[in-house]
Amino acid sequence: MLVKAAIATPSGNSLSEWETRLKLLGLLCLVFAFATINDLRLLPLMIITALAVYRLSALPASYLISRLKVPGIFLLAMAVVLPLSAGETVLAQAGPVALRLEGTLGLLSIAARFFSIITVATVLLASTPMPTLVRAMGSLGMPDLLGDMLLFTYRYIFQLADDLHRARVAARLRRARLGSLSSIRTTAYIVGSLLVRSHWQAERVLAAMTLRGYGNSRIDVSRPAPGLRDFAALAVCVTLAGGFVVTQTFFL
Amino acid sequence: MHIPDGIVPVSVAAGGYALAAGMTAISLRQIERKHVDPREGIPKASLLTAVFFMASLVHIPLPPTSVHLVLSGLMGVVLGWYAFPAILVGLFFQAVMFQHGGLTMLGVNACLMGIPALLSYGVFRLRNMLGETRPLPNAVLGFVAGFMAVAIGAFSAAVLLVSTVPAYLDASVERAAVTGLFVAHLPLAGIEGVFTATVVLFLLRVQPSLLKESL
Repeated sequence: MLVKAAIATPSGNSLSEWETRLKLLGLLCLVFAFATINDLRLLPLMIITALAVYRLSALPASYLISRLKVPGIFLLAMAVVLPLSAGETVLAQAGPVALRLEGTLGLLSIAARFFSIITVATVLLASTPMPTLVRAMGSLGMPDLLGDMLLFTYRYIFQLADDLHRARVAARLRRARLGSLSSIRTTAYIVGSLLVRSHWQAERVLAAMTLRGYGNSRIDVSRPAPGLRDFAALAVCVTLAGGFVVTQTFFL
Repeated sequence: MHIPDGIVPVSVAAGGYALAAGMTAISLRQIERKHVDPREGIPKASLLTAVFFMASLVHIPLPPTSVHLVLSGLMGVVLGWYAFPAILVGLFFQAVMFQHGGLTMLGVNACLMGIPALLSYGVFRLRNMLGETRPLPNAVLGFVAGFMAVAIGAFSAAVLLVSTVPAYLDASVERAAVTGLFVAHLPLAGIEGVFTATVVLFLLRVQPSLLKESL
């Protein structure tokens, strides 16, 4: 299988039991507050906060490291460019290459934000099953059409991953050269076939869903009301987020 | 073309969300205008979104490296007004599953890929005038749709990155960076153009209704 669902935090963990709508609001507040931080004095506090949230989730460190790898490549590219090209204050020089203060500080700020945001976002996504998260987004005002598309797409991604894998194996067995530039045509035909098959499958899915009442009034799935602990956790997150923004705006 | 979290200022991320919300609202209004029941198109749009999501994981060799397909042009061609919400959904899953992009940058990335996809949709509609069933106009418009979606997205991303990230770059370095980032994406745009044209020709032979505004 080409894709895997995000792992979930252990059940019974305080973060996985936090009411999803409030968790979404609380952790997103933190994420967006982190995105505003550019004062160097707040960076250590931001990283500590993100690590504390991650610690509460009981996720293994290796999971976070694996999540940082792909976007880290982008950061690596900036690490090469920024300190050498941005700013006028030269920290060190070797021939024509100069390490500049402003670019280095800019990179530090970007790296800290990048790490903290991804850490908290990872906790949010790993501690909440996808359907629950989408339903929470819907109850917070996301349009129904988007919510339905998210759930359906999530359902089909895994099936299509297997279909695509099988089609590529079949193409390879027929000696198609998938590892060369000329493979564009073969890959295009595989994608075209998947589109056609999915088109027909969608017709059947819609017919079956219509028979089961899809499109009629939405069934309101009752969910337990948030408790005092849920609101307290939200209050902590909002206070922390507000504290970061207010401190940077008015006190630094 | 996926800008990760924490790179650009929060004002840009918030602006991206605002623009993406506006574009989503426009797309949903257009979908509602065209369909008695907009939900009828959801299973099809979702399945096709899943196909695009999976296909974008396929790597095409581009010596000395390899690139993954973006497919925003093809999404515009096949999904029409559903392309913007579909790209939003696809980017959400890419951020969740593979950390391509990020939650704070979802709006920005959706605009960088979704608006060019809608432009590609508009360009591909020219086939109504040039001949819906003739292979040549379909192939040419398919190529243009695939090429322009990546080229416009890459150019916009380069301008956005260079103008918002480093506060201390001088104008000549900025221009060089924008040009460099844009030129680096041109081979990918070419591959996307060829790929989109090939899929369009395939669909024209096998299932031409997928190229009409039927979704």
